[in-house]
Amino acid sequence: MATLPDGRTLTGKLIIVEGIDGSGKSTQLDLLRKWLIGEGYCVAYSEWNSSPIVGGVTRRGKKKQLLTPLSFCLIHAADFADRMERQMLPALKAGAIVLADRYMYTAFGRDVARGIDRGFVRRLYSFAIRPTIAFYFRVPLEESLRRILTGRPQLKYYEAGLDIGLSDDPYESFKLFQSRILEEYDRMVEEFNLTVIDATRPLLEQQDEVRAIVAPHLRNVLRIDRGGWREVLAAEGLHGRYLQDMIQTMTPEQDQ
Amino acid sequence: MTRTPSFYGYDLLADKARNLKGRLIVLEGTDGVGRSSQIALLREWLENEGYAVATSALKRGKLAGKGLKEAMRGHTLGDTTMNLLYATDFADRLEHEMLPALRAGFIVLTDRYIFSIIVRALVRGADPAWIRNLFSFALVPDIVFYLQADVSNLVPRVLNARGFDYWESGLDLLPGRDYYENFIEYQRRLLAQFDAIANEYGFHRIDANRSMHAVFKDLQTEIKRLIADMKPNRLALTREAGSELEEVDQPGKKNEK
Repeated sequence: MATLPDGRTLTGKLIIVEGIDGSGKSTQLDLLRKWLIGEGYCVAYSEWNSSPIVGGVTRRGKKKQLLTPLSFCLIHAADFADRMERQMLPALKAGAIVLADRYMYTAFGRDVARGIDRGFVRRLYSFAIRPTIAFYFRVPLEESLRRILTGRPQLKYYEAGLDIGLSDDPYESFKLFQSRILEEYDRMVEEFNLTVIDATRPLLEQQDEVRAIVAPHLRNVLRIDRGGWREVLAAEGLHGRYLQDMIQTMTPEQDQ
Repeated sequence: MTRTPSFYGYDLLADKARNLKGRLIVLEGTDGVGRSSQIALLREWLENEGYAVATSALKRGKLAGKGLKEAMRGHTLGDTTMNLLYATDFADRLEHEMLPALRAGFIVLTDRYIFSIIVRALVRGADPAWIRNLFSFALVPDIVFYLQADVSNLVPRVLNARGFDYWESGLDLLPGRDYYENFIEYQRRLLAQFDAIANEYGFHRIDANRSMHAVFKDLQTEIKRLIADMKPNRLALTREAGSELEEVDQPGKKNEK
C-alpha cells in the first residue's frame, strides 16, 4: 500500500527507485514499466526534477549558478511537491501504479551531502506519500564512477558538487560528492527500510528479482484492457500504422 | 557593534550571519494595510539621516521571483508547491540580499517576511508544524511591525491601488467567484491567523486604522530606539568601488522584469 503521512492508505501502488548516478536504477525502472504496461496495468511515471511549473526556476538557478545548498534543497522540494500534488497523488487515488525515478531519498542524500541538516530535510518532505516499495540499487562507488566517467563526459557544475568546493577539479569533486551521497544512502537503508538490490549483478537477473518483489503487490490494481484495438485491426483488416505512431509517442523519453 | 544572530529553529545560515552590523526591520500585515507606502517613507527618512538602507519584498528575488509570479498567474499551483516556491524565493533573498546588506551595516527594510507566507499557508490548512519547520532557517529580525487594520478600512485602499486580485481575494480557496465577498472573508481569515501567531513571534502591533502620518510617527519612534547605537554612515551611500559594500549593490535595485 502507498500510505499518506496521516496513515491513510491509497488504493494505488507507489514503487520508487533510488541509487547513485550509474547504479542502473533508471534502466531497471524502464524495464519494469514496460513489463507492467504489457501486462495491462495502468502505470503513471514521474521523474525527479521534471515539474513543468518549477523547472524554469531550477534551470535558471543552475545556469546562472544562483543556487545555494539551501535554495537548491527548497526548489527541488517544490518540484517534488508539484509532481506529488498534480501527478502522483491523483494517480494513486485512482488506483494506478506510480513509478518514480528517484524520490525524497535523493534529496536526503544530496542535500545532506551539501551540508543541510538531516532533520530539516526529513521534516521538509514529511508531506510525501510513503512508497509501497522503495528499491535501492546498491553499487560500489568505483563501479558507478567507472560506468559514468568512461568517455570523460562533461560534468555539470551542480552535478559534480562544485558548488560546495570539495575540489576545483570536476572529476575529483564528483567522486567526493558521490561518496558522501553513498554514505547517506547506506544510512537510509535501515531508517526507511529500503529494499536493496545488488546492482553489480547482470541486468536481467536484477529485473527478475525486482518483478518477483513487485508481483505480490499487483492484486486489485487498476488494469486497462489493451486488447481492444487488436480486435478492431483483425476484424477490419487494418494494419494500425498510425496507432503504432501514437503508442510510440506515449512512451516517455529516456531520462537524462 | 555586532550581535549574535538567532534563528527560528535550524541555524543553516549561521556562517552567513556572522558579524551583522545592520538592522533587520520587518513590516507585516494584510493586503492594503499600507506597508509599501510606509517603507518608502521610512527609507527616505533614514537615508536623509545618513543611514544606508536596503529594501526587500516578496517575489522579488533573482532566482525564483519571476518563476513564482508566472506560476501564480496560471492558477495551477498546489498549496504545498506554492509554499515551497515562496520559501525558495525567501531563502534566495535572505542569502543574497538581506544578509550581505546586514553584514555591511545597512538598515534592511523588508515588506513582509516569513509571516505573511505562514499565515496564508495556515489559512489554507497547512500543517502548522510543517510550515514552521520550512521557515525555521529564517533570521530573527530586530523588530517585526504588525500593521493591523480592520477589513472595512482595507477595501478602499485596495480599490484605490489596483482593485481586487485573484489571490488576495482567496479565490483559490473560497467557494464562489465573488471578488468582493471573498476578499472580505479571506482577509478576515488572514487577520485571525496573524493574531494567532502574533505573540509567538513577538510582533510589535501598530494600529493602521489611523492616518498614514500617525502610523509613520509610531514606526519612527520605535526605529529611532532600535538604531540609537548605530552611527549614520554617509560613506555607505557613496558605495565606493572595491569596498566591502560592492557585494550589497543588489538590495536597492529592482529585480529585472
